[in-house]
Amino acid sequence: MGTHLAHLTGMKKRTIAAVSAGAALTLILAGCAATESDPAAEQTTLVVDSTFALSSMDPARAFEATGTMVNHNVYETALTFAGSDLSTLVPQVADYTISDDNRLVTLTLTGDSTFSDGTAVTADDVVFSYQRLQGVLGNPSFLLDGVTVTKVDDQTVELLSETDNPQLPFILPNPALSILQQSAVVDNGGTLDETDAAETFLTSTSVGSGPYMYDTVAVTTAISLVKNPSYAGEEPYYDRIVINNVGADTQRINLEGGQTDIALNISSDEAEQVDTNDFSVTTGASAATYYLWLNTDDAFGGVAADVNFVKAMRHAIDYDSILDVVGLGSQQPGGVVPLQFAGSLESDENNTYDPDLAEDLLAESGYAGEIVNVLYSSENAFAANVTQIVQANAAAIGVTIELNPQTAANTLDLFRGGEYQAGLANWGADFPDAANYLVFAPEGNIGARTAWNFGDGATADQIQPLAAAAAAASGDDDRADAYIAFQEALNDYGPYIPLFQPAEIVIGDVALTGIASNALWAIDFSTVAGS
Amino acid sequence: MALTTTDARVPGGAPAAETGAPRPPRRQHPLLRYISLRFGISILLVWGVTVVTFVVTNLVPTDPVNAVLGEQAANNPEIVAALRTEMGLDEPLIVQYWLYLTRLLAFDMGVSAQTRSPVADDLARAFPATLELALFVLLFSTVIGVGLGMLAALRHQTAVDKTIRVLSLFGISLPVFWIAMLIYYVFFYQLHWAPGSGRLDSALVPPPLVTGMYTIDSLVAGQPDLFWNALSHLVLPAVVLTLFTIGTLVRFSRSAILDVVRHDYVQAARAKGLPHRIVVVRYILRGASLPILTMSGLTFGSLLSGAVLTESVFSWHGLGQYAYMAAISLDLQAIMGVGLLIGVVYIFTNFAVDLLCGLIDPRVRVQ
Repeated sequence: MGTHLAHLTGMKKRTIAAVSAGAALTLILAGCAATESDPAAEQTTLVVDSTFALSSMDPARAFEATGTMVNHNVYETALTFAGSDLSTLVPQVADYTISDDNRLVTLTLTGDSTFSDGTAVTADDVVFSYQRLQGVLGNPSFLLDGVTVTKVDDQTVELLSETDNPQLPFILPNPALSILQQSAVVDNGGTLDETDAAETFLTSTSVGSGPYMYDTVAVTTAISLVKNPSYAGEEPYYDRIVINNVGADTQRINLEGGQTDIALNISSDEAEQVDTNDFSVTTGASAATYYLWLNTDDAFGGVAADVNFVKAMRHAIDYDSILDVVGLGSQQPGGVVPLQFAGSLESDENNTYDPDLAEDLLAESGYAGEIVNVLYSSENAFAANVTQIVQANAAAIGVTIELNPQTAANTLDLFRGGEYQAGLANWGADFPDAANYLVFAPEGNIGARTAWNFGDGATADQIQPLAAAAAAASGDDDRADAYIAFQEALNDYGPYIPLFQPAEIVIGDVALTGIASNALWAIDFSTVAGS
Repeated sequence: MALTTTDARVPGGAPAAETGAPRPPRRQHPLLRYISLRFGISILLVWGVTVVTFVVTNLVPTDPVNAVLGEQAANNPEIVAALRTEMGLDEPLIVQYWLYLTRLLAFDMGVSAQTRSPVADDLARAFPATLELALFVLLFSTVIGVGLGMLAALRHQTAVDKTIRVLSLFGISLPVFWIAMLIYYVFFYQLHWAPGSGRLDSALVPPPLVTGMYTIDSLVAGQPDLFWNALSHLVLPAVVLTLFTIGTLVRFSRSAILDVVRHDYVQAARAKGLPHRIVVVRYILRGASLPILTMSGLTFGSLLSGAVLTESVFSWHGLGQYAYMAAISLDLQAIMGVGLLIGVVYIFTNFAVDLLCGLIDPRVRVQ
């Protein structure tokens, strides 16, 4: 038997060795084939890594970062921004005027824009696109709430707001207000109400006048764009843009390994380690404000509803430590409005690190060692580290914080329920105007989340009039002053502690030019060129 | 049972009534009976899976509407109501289940909230990517795993056996995401031996859709360059998953073969002087094939149900990635679709394994 076994194992060994060698050879051959593959053509192709946040490609429904980025490159809007600058409006499909009472915006078509099939963009297309946005009841429909859209003549469209709406021109560049070719959309089920059935069509076909048009779209995998032959603007450098859905952890390897030209989601830590001889790191201020919120209703907030407790926490937090953790390009805003917007607050003495003052305020709050529960999304890149710093800072003045990480969906659900004690959240601007931050007022959306609108009436009564005054203010200087006053009051009495603004980081091959990080749509591919 | 006037089984072809002989009971072939029984059980299990996925998904305390809507839209009751209706959440649960079940009969799994596409279409895109990878991995892990398991068993308690057992432990013990990142870093980034992430180079256009598996579709389309490119992209994720699955297969095969080697019939075969190859193939391997087959089936099922971390590192947009995104975005229709698909995959993989077991071992089908 022993001899038999020895023979058997010898035979098996040879067999196994042969099979293993065959397998290894196949692997090696297949691997080698990668270097021999012949990329399709002489076309210039820009490969971009992005972690997709995408549900719909229909501009009237798309509200996530990837859809917004792609739509900006495929469609045109009435007005737009150039590069990173969100303070200066640039005419695209139209130029504009706004009435003295800030209620009537008049768009005058430039007449230059043409859709990808060569037909001209008309006033009817503008009216249809805006009315469809309002009617389909999608995520971005609120952008034109209370606005009546009317065609005046073939070159003119009027937007009449029910109330003062000085921010409306700054809403118009949002890709949700892209101008779509009416006939194509209608032919494919488009309507002006919730019966609209053009979303599927618009996920596979672009009907815009932007520099690019869809080539292929796989919303979970990759999107490729090709030049729009009828684009009226300056012809883009790249013939084709391929945007791959790639996890943030892999993007740096892909970039440095030569597979990718531009990466959009490399973390600030990793961005600082990238060799700047080979890659350019472009940082721009994001339009997101991260803040700690505390429930103002005694029933849910407990001790966190106390104004002195909130003030104690404001001074307990070491903001510089938070900026160190958030990393490259991050800033501490003075209020909830991001620093690059008119009406922002550069700094505020209420939001400064002063542990001694924090302890005094805590003593006045009546805090008796209760556990304060802080909710955050475990999917957020910054949340875990930042809340741990807050927890440690709070512990230093004697406050016990228990962290409660949840999925983004659960976090949203608990936040919107208005009954959770405290948490970390962020607000990204829907449009670059301080008016978008009126949601933090007692009667605003975020006010509802912190139970402010049915909680402590005393502080709400002090702040709501300032919010109303800011909304009604007119003229650049007056508006800025009004929003600053609103934010100072928020810092005095409000339940929000602004913590930081992260940076938008775009990293690309150093040979590329024209990369600009934009807080609304990340990047404009039409300005990117190779060497 | 009433007798028929013509029963072909009566000898001589005479009518049974005329012969007066009692008609023997109709007996189905044991294998057919076995298949019918297994298939019936599988169908019942599929129905059970629809109940479980629906109930479990709807037990989640979070409101899926919140996961879909932005902050401003969530504050608009009209938009919230419209979305609730669109998602079918305005009906009682039992009605929702009935609607779900009736739609399923028409292969309609609803619309995904995260992709705004029919879930069936999403799955039809994601599943072939995973299937292609799983088939590749199953091939390699079975050949290598069973081979090494056999070598270890036949060299029981030798240095070879111990080495194989220790190595197999590595595959099982090391975190798959770590192996994936390491392999990707070394072979793509450092050595440039393998292509980057994804199923094809970015500059290439996928072949026309036939099966959704790029290697097969590219061959069907007569695009050998595309085939080699697709195959090259398969290598690294397949190696990672092979390392992960091979350990289990090695240990399982070794154990099964050791068990068989000690049986009397193997000793008898050897005593008869049968050639060693015959003893190994016809006696040992066949005897050990049932547990190995069962294990391979389970491995295949688990591979098909998605390898989330590996797919994530290699940007392989298969079922695992889709399931992960559905779960974190609380996309109920997609979660139910994935749950049902994975359930069906497991059930029918087991069904296939049961059939093969029945074919290999007559005792199984008799039981």
